Amino acid sequence: MSAQPELVTVTVDGREVQVAKGTGLVETAMAAGIEIPVFCYEPRLGPAVGACRMCLCDVEGMPKPMAACTMTAQDGMVVRTALTSEKAANAQNATLEFLLVNHPLDCPVCDKGGECPLQDLTFRYGPGSTRMTFPKRTFDKPIPISPLIALDRERCILCYRCTRFSENVSEDGQLVAVNRGAQSMIATFGDEPYRGAFTGNVTEICPVGALTSTQYRFLARPWEIQNVPSVCGLCPVGCNVSVTLREGKVRRIQSRNHHDVDGGWLCDKGRYAYSHLYARDRITDPLSRAPRRGLREVSWDDAVEEAERLIRKAEGRIVTALSGSETVEQAYALAKLLRQGAGAHEAVLPEEVDESLDCFRLPLSAIAGADAVVITGHEPVVERAPIVDLWIRAARRNGATIVASPDGENLSRALRGKERVVVVGSGGSPRHTSALAHRLKLDTKDGGGAFHLPQTANGRGVAEAWSAASDEEPTTPEPIGLLIVSGDEAAANPDVRALAERSESVLAITMFQGLASGWADLVLPGTSYLERDGSYVNIEGRIQRVRRTSIPPAPDELAWIAKLGERFGVAISPYPAAVFAELSEKIFGGIAFGEIGERASLPPRPPRTHGVAAGPALEKIPEAKPRGPLHLVAYRALFSGPAVERVPELQFQRPPPEIELAPFDADNRRIRTGDAVVVSSNGTSVELRARVTRSLTPGVARVAQEHLPGFRQKVLVKKK
Amino acid sequence: MAEAKRPVVVLAGAGDHDLTKLAEYRSIGGYDALAKARAMEPSAVIDELNASNLRGRGGAFFATGKKASFIPADSPKATYLTVNADESEPGTFKDREIMLRVPHRLLEGCLITAHAIRSRHVFLYIRGEYLEEFETLRAALDEVRGAGLLSGVTVVLHRGAGAYICGEETGLLESLEGKRGQPRSKPPFPAIQGLYASPTLINNVETMATVAPIMAMGGTEYAKLGAPPDSTGTRLFCVSGNVVNAGNYELPMGMTIREVLFDIAGGVPDGRELKAVIPGGSSMPILTADQIDTPLTHDALRALDTFLGAAALIAIDDRCCMVQLGLRVAQFYMHESCGKCTPCREGTRWMVQILEKIEAGRAEQSELDLLLDVCDRILGHCLCPLGDAAAMPIASYVTKFRDEFQQHVDLGACPFAGSSTLDDLFAPVNQHSRHPTVEVPA
Repeated sequence: MSAQPELVTVTVDGREVQVAKGTGLVETAMAAGIEIPVFCYEPRLGPAVGACRMCLCDVEGMPKPMAACTMTAQDGMVVRTALTSEKAANAQNATLEFLLVNHPLDCPVCDKGGECPLQDLTFRYGPGSTRMTFPKRTFDKPIPISPLIALDRERCILCYRCTRFSENVSEDGQLVAVNRGAQSMIATFGDEPYRGAFTGNVTEICPVGALTSTQYRFLARPWEIQNVPSVCGLCPVGCNVSVTLREGKVRRIQSRNHHDVDGGWLCDKGRYAYSHLYARDRITDPLSRAPRRGLREVSWDDAVEEAERLIRKAEGRIVTALSGSETVEQAYALAKLLRQGAGAHEAVLPEEVDESLDCFRLPLSAIAGADAVVITGHEPVVERAPIVDLWIRAARRNGATIVASPDGENLSRALRGKERVVVVGSGGSPRHTSALAHRLKLDTKDGGGAFHLPQTANGRGVAEAWSAASDEEPTTPEPIGLLIVSGDEAAANPDVRALAERSESVLAITMFQGLASGWADLVLPGTSYLERDGSYVNIEGRIQRVRRTSIPPAPDELAWIAKLGERFGVAISPYPAAVFAELSEKIFGGIAFGEIGERASLPPRPPRTHGVAAGPALEKIPEAKPRGPLHLVAYRALFSGPAVERVPELQFQRPPPEIELAPFDADNRRIRTGDAVVVSSNGTSVELRARVTRSLTPGVARVAQEHLPGFRQKVLVKKK
Repeated sequence: MAEAKRPVVVLAGAGDHDLTKLAEYRSIGGYDALAKARAMEPSAVIDELNASNLRGRGGAFFATGKKASFIPADSPKATYLTVNADESEPGTFKDREIMLRVPHRLLEGCLITAHAIRSRHVFLYIRGEYLEEFETLRAALDEVRGAGLLSGVTVVLHRGAGAYICGEETGLLESLEGKRGQPRSKPPFPAIQGLYASPTLINNVETMATVAPIMAMGGTEYAKLGAPPDSTGTRLFCVSGNVVNAGNYELPMGMTIREVLFDIAGGVPDGRELKAVIPGGSSMPILTADQIDTPLTHDALRALDTFLGAAALIAIDDRCCMVQLGLRVAQFYMHESCGKCTPCREGTRWMVQILEKIEAGRAEQSELDLLLDVCDRILGHCLCPLGDAAAMPIASYVTKFRDEFQQHVDLGACPFAGSSTLDDLFAPVNQHSRHPTVEVPA
């Protein structure tokens, strides 16, 4: 936007301040360094509602105190807050008195106590004592609105933030207000559990202790915790998070608003999956297979010795399977050890990466400002990169056209006259997304761009780190002497398991017993993103820092890779900063570790180096035949994987055993939503419930991967 | 004032004709004003309304023509006319009389006003309990539609579900949109962003029923009626409470309360004394018996710190305990508070608790002032006028009848010792028992 916004001058408590016309009064006062207290006001939740009446201010020319949150700055406006106006001070004091009339005095046992806006504002603006002599209003409590969230209606001040989040942000409409007047209360629609990818956000925006996390309830007090700024490592978005520790243990994860990446929202996986760190089957010591006795604990010295022996024995016939959840540093160290020290260049990378997408680079927040968003591929966006789903919803609320075009064809009519077009590839190959972006010339338009949603948190960083360690071409060894399995996602991957069948020995690096037993000869304890220092590269290509928040129960990967490096004559530092420095020269343009900062910036777009790529079009689904086999899209569900499986509170969020069918295919098979169907392929069959999804392409059947393990791409679906 | 000379505008002809029938309404010149208006420029219709100085009959007394002129003439979005027939204020029953007796005059006024604001959509939001009124109006609308008088305008009759707050204009819009009936924060005002975020004009039933006669007689002619310059025309006064002849009376503005209560409604029955009068519906500050020589005009009542409101006069005789009256009024507003904003939601409940304690004779001296202070802290701090509607009357009862409140404290009991009654004044609380009730712990 080139036009300069019109500036207006507003006087707040005698201080003149210049802001753009239309700026909210709360922000205007903030610009003047003056606080206008609020409860219900939260611009991310849509238009201000003026419900709590905390922000009442004296505005010149207005007979009554005005709710500042609903007003915008006009030239010459004179505003007096509680600082200088008795009228405003009295109004704010009155609001707090009314809020506290029925609020329980349970601050000493309330999770919010100590970090509670109601407490803080009462101290600053409220009455010092109560005049209420009647019994307070009571409700049943706490009400578990889901296994993750407890609702205390007595503490609720009815600011309607949670219902507005549910209505205007996640757009699920599940949280509602019921009854009226003094008996108004928050509830879930139809008293169903509050289910969805983003439910936990309501505990964070709640300004009192009404919505609390069941995982954190009664576990800590604000003065005995530390909050560590880090980045979530569970999906490719890389939401900025604040990790709460008590006595060295992770107890809570909250959003740490990076307005270009996550807009201050966090999905439930990122928020609640941390307790997998303390899973019962967490591996804390190296394990080695002994004949007829299975895996037994060995010392670190023995483990490193054994690892060296396995690597040397394979004589370069080594395949490394990577997870995509490794830090860039860890992947590089492993690559350097194996490629430079053992001549082992073959790797199973977590996913395909296409650097040509960089010239369509945008911050994720740009999706919200698009005129049109094109979603290609058959997979649900929310399952691959949940926050992107919120950005797309924001775009639609802002007036954008959302075009679901699984094959990326026939877009010209839908995109006619659209200036800022963003392509989001959700499924298929990134090359397809890049080719489409080239065809639409999105790099030449302001605000236009493309994203391909990766499947893993750091697939790109891992791939770049692997290739930076050596220029040698890999050769596929046969037979495989040693399969090195790096990380839990690789260990859980059926394709990797299949490789193990052809390997003489297996070295697995994993966090959990369940993933190690039965196939590994040597197991080295893995760590989580919450236990490592290092960097991740997200969807946008943004390099972000993860910080070690808690000490892992065993030395981290970098420590023993460095030790092994010494034995193979490869110099590897055990310090991420040093590894990054070496790596940055090669792939990140020499940026220093310290420069990434707490809120990483986006690298600039590289100029397009090649012409309009003819590029492959997305895979065409063959014309659907009435009773023929269907093309199976098995997606990795958000609430799946080794970490989620180990969090009891998240189990209700796991994908239901359903198969999604297009109306065309369902009708042809006389199947309706809820019917039991039999899905078969290659002689195996599974019974699932059907769900008819209108947005699905005819000929496609969609299932969460965990329900059809090992199924091929063609499946037969029949009504049971 | 003699019966013959009194002008009748809104209910004109309803005494001699069955004006629910289109043919009879047309026989007295019905829908001629619509034809006349449609031949005029929309802005000329608004000029006519301005000349009449018609003020909103819902209670806010805002100039109708001026409000209509706020609707942008060149709106790219559809504009809407919404008619507020959610008459719920205790003491008011005038709109139902209009809908039952002169439905065509109401519809004609709606069609003229729709023309004035270039709207092709009219919504009538009718109080849910008004079934007969709805059916009368529906029959009238069918006739109008059959006679081809709509000329492409869609008229929707929408029945509410029994919430007082949906009579607040933005609460009404929310409810009409299918949402929870809670008022919106203003600005934006409905004239800019109303129904479905489009320019919307909201008027009361009586206002709309006055538009056709104004077009027929001319705005300047109408402006001569009543008490010009501000309180022009006639109003339907809903007279209720302790009077001999309760009912609706269409009277010119400017008569005194005494004239209306005693000369027209027959005075207080059984020779009892008039104690107080509520001039505009239960939400208005009360007047004492010695203030009834005030003319019923906006300005005269403003000078006494009260309002004409919806012109609902409630006469209260000497049997009534003012604490009991205050409690009943407060209970109504607590029950009807929507729960959106803090002062109203919490304050109305607190007021009821304090009033119950006073009535039971258990209150301490300080609680009289606490009650006044709670009223004061609600006043002017709420999102919509409901909070004020609860606080204003209660505060006026306490200040004007302080002695009676004081007696409750001093005696430790109600001085009426059970002889007080709200009969003929307000329906008992348990009338609402079919709705979710608010339990106030004793």
